Amino acid sequence: MAAATLAEAQPGTAALSTGMASPSNPCTDPTLEPLPPTRKFKLSDFKRVRTLGTGTFARVVLVRPANATKPLQEEKNPEVYALKILKKTEVIKLKQIDHVRHERAILADVAGHPFITKLLGSSSDHDCLYMLLEYVPGGELFSYLRKYRRFDEPTARFYAAEIVLVLEFLHEQQGGVAYRDLKPENLLLDQDGHIKLVDFGFAKRLGYKDDRPVETYTLCGTPEYLAPEVIHNKGHTTAVDWWALGILIYEFLTGYPPFWHQNPMEIYKQIVEKPVVFPQEPVISEEAQDIIRSFCTRDRSRRLGNISGGAGRVKAHPFFRGVNWDDLLNRRHRGPIIPPIRYPGDDQCFDVYPEEDANSTAYTAEMANKYDRYFEDF
Amino acid sequence: MSLPEAYQHEIQALNRQVLQTCPSDILQFCADFFNSRLASERAASLSIFRDRGTPSPGFAPSPRFSPSPTSHFAMMSSQFSSPFGANSNPFGGSTSPMASSVMHSVVEEEENDHDHDHLAPGGPFFSGAFGGDASTEAPPTMRAPPSNDSYPAQYNFGRRTSVSAESLKPSADSYDNWTPPFTEKTPEQIERLKHAIEGNFLFNHLDDEQSAQILGALVEKPIPARGIKVISQGDAGDYFYVVERGSFDVYVNACGFIEPGPDGLGNKVGIIQAGGSFGELALMYNAPRAATIISAEGSCTLWALDRVTFRRILMESTFARRRMYESFLEEVPILSSLTPYERSKIADALETQKFAPGDTIIHEGDPGHSFYLLESGEAAAYKGTEKVLSYNKGDFFGELALLNDAPRAASVVAVTDVKVATLGKNAFQRLLGPVEGLLRRTRYQGVKTGVEEMDPLQQE
Repeated sequence: MAAATLAEAQPGTAALSTGMASPSNPCTDPTLEPLPPTRKFKLSDFKRVRTLGTGTFARVVLVRPANATKPLQEEKNPEVYALKILKKTEVIKLKQIDHVRHERAILADVAGHPFITKLLGSSSDHDCLYMLLEYVPGGELFSYLRKYRRFDEPTARFYAAEIVLVLEFLHEQQGGVAYRDLKPENLLLDQDGHIKLVDFGFAKRLGYKDDRPVETYTLCGTPEYLAPEVIHNKGHTTAVDWWALGILIYEFLTGYPPFWHQNPMEIYKQIVEKPVVFPQEPVISEEAQDIIRSFCTRDRSRRLGNISGGAGRVKAHPFFRGVNWDDLLNRRHRGPIIPPIRYPGDDQCFDVYPEEDANSTAYTAEMANKYDRYFEDF
Repeated sequence: MSLPEAYQHEIQALNRQVLQTCPSDILQFCADFFNSRLASERAASLSIFRDRGTPSPGFAPSPRFSPSPTSHFAMMSSQFSSPFGANSNPFGGSTSPMASSVMHSVVEEEENDHDHDHLAPGGPFFSGAFGGDASTEAPPTMRAPPSNDSYPAQYNFGRRTSVSAESLKPSADSYDNWTPPFTEKTPEQIERLKHAIEGNFLFNHLDDEQSAQILGALVEKPIPARGIKVISQGDAGDYFYVVERGSFDVYVNACGFIEPGPDGLGNKVGIIQAGGSFGELALMYNAPRAATIISAEGSCTLWALDRVTFRRILMESTFARRRMYESFLEEVPILSSLTPYERSKIADALETQKFAPGDTIIHEGDPGHSFYLLESGEAAAYKGTEKVLSYNKGDFFGELALLNDAPRAASVVAVTDVKVATLGKNAFQRLLGPVEGLLRRTRYQGVKTGVEEMDPLQQE
């Protein structure tokens, strides 16, 4: 089985050249969509401050220039970045080659949107892939949500509204980019309390083929936030993000998602079979209930955001009444939670993680021969 | 790395308290201490939220959350880590594939319960922070006392890990030929298999073709002796199994994997008999097995289905059907003004209906609300008792219902077993907006299609 799935994920096994990539030397594999060029750097250009988050095959560390000498807290305008490090071995083992290429390509394309973390550069060396991102010091919205247990409606509305603007941008202005992993863990707060969407590891440009919009079939996301069509493998589109936004607003308002269980299969069963029910306490307003139900509509041909009008229809929903979308996009007001940042390079809003990886397998010459063609233009 | 300053501050404060009080129950005392610290910190941060600036329409600017000795964030998600480890269902798989070791810790209910004492409802926290309500001056806790709500004690409040399966691309896109694997089975075996999976939500929505392909794809796996481990807890999972003959014991080790030694399998938590099944989470993605399954007798037989075959069968048939719908829709003159994108949305929303020979699909004189594509079989249109048209695969009828609600001009009756794909005017408008703008971009008249010169179903 393993062999079959591997072949699925990484078609072709031809060994190609493994030279280091440079912006002027895009990918030599003609079957791969070349990645947009980015600024390149060496790992030794930076020194590590500490880990900000860990994933299965990635770690995000706070870094500063290798030659920086002043303590961070004394710097008025410190140069700090979030460096995402992906291990090639793990990327291959977990069959995420397609996904990391999508992540890298899309981040380069969307850099500059006010609510998305900006990609500043990318690089690779023998063992790892690197993405240099702007540092967003406020920490995860997840941390604030768990700390306060839940948000009131104005707070939830503020974050939901900013996310609507991100989804509108990704879906409608970026040629159908599906984000596919919306959850509080992937939303950071900047110093003014605005959202920054991070981790585009599952984002995919669906685009068009033969003039038809393409649906995609790879199951990915977070169990509690998966849309029913993903579970049933019916082919999914950007509509999965609107489903997830419904789950997210529910979790903002109650403190927990509508479908949960210790056994993931039970979560999936609920998602495909059960309606969203609201607790008696806290009281969720009619408008909030309606927008959650409209997003969490199993039949995506009835799902808000996916029906005619797209994101515009979402913005017009009564839940968002009174929102000045133009002010919001231009970040004219600060968010409802201002992170307690003491100085620009402050890392206290992030949880502490172990700095060492448990055990890592070496990236062998054999693997490099086989797979470096997927990484060389990273 | 040194411990965070804020943490050391807390620990020193706790040390002082312990020295002063000399509590007998250390753990309880520490828990109480941190809870009260958390409560006071929340109160402090909320009082700052309360003193917000002038409201403006939509979102008023927020107050500055000025750093203070109490405004650190030492207590965050880490306290809630108590995830899926205590999964009681041995078949579903308890952990997500990417779960870290912390995910295996046993659920400690106290961890969630202790917060009930300090449950400040979400409402007052920020109300007005950008809602424009500046009238209340009392502290949040006074405005709405903590209520004992139904916060789920069992919910895992830790960070949730993402999951992902192998990428799948329809073969029609990659131009290779794929046919699902097929293993011959007797009618009795098929019946037993059907029965074994019929209640399962992963299978019960499948259409006949998909079911047949999946039943065909299950592979026989003889387990000749007693004591053979079919799956081992903690291992990667790629297969779902149905028991054809024999029985299997289920063991779960609380640590999440098999440990060395005689009791390494953990506790026996169940038996699976013929007709039962296990390992279904493997049909979703590769997650560590939640239990160990061992044959309990000699000569057992299993049927096995791997994830990629399962998901691929679903994908290929869905993909093929969508492309078929899209190609049918291209032939419908009334829809010719739609863009491929719009047609694709319609294809996505079509619903399948089945009719037996002799069934009437639409009735002459009824108001028309839906249009139909003939997906398979044959049908005929009648005006009164006179047959006026025959329909075959790919033909369509009733499409003028998208433009108006005029009564059907004829009846359409299934001649053979018939499958139609149908869409109502409401669904159409919901997806694409008012039909007037879309379908009347070009005038619909006198289009020679061989099937509907003018819609025979519409009265003049």
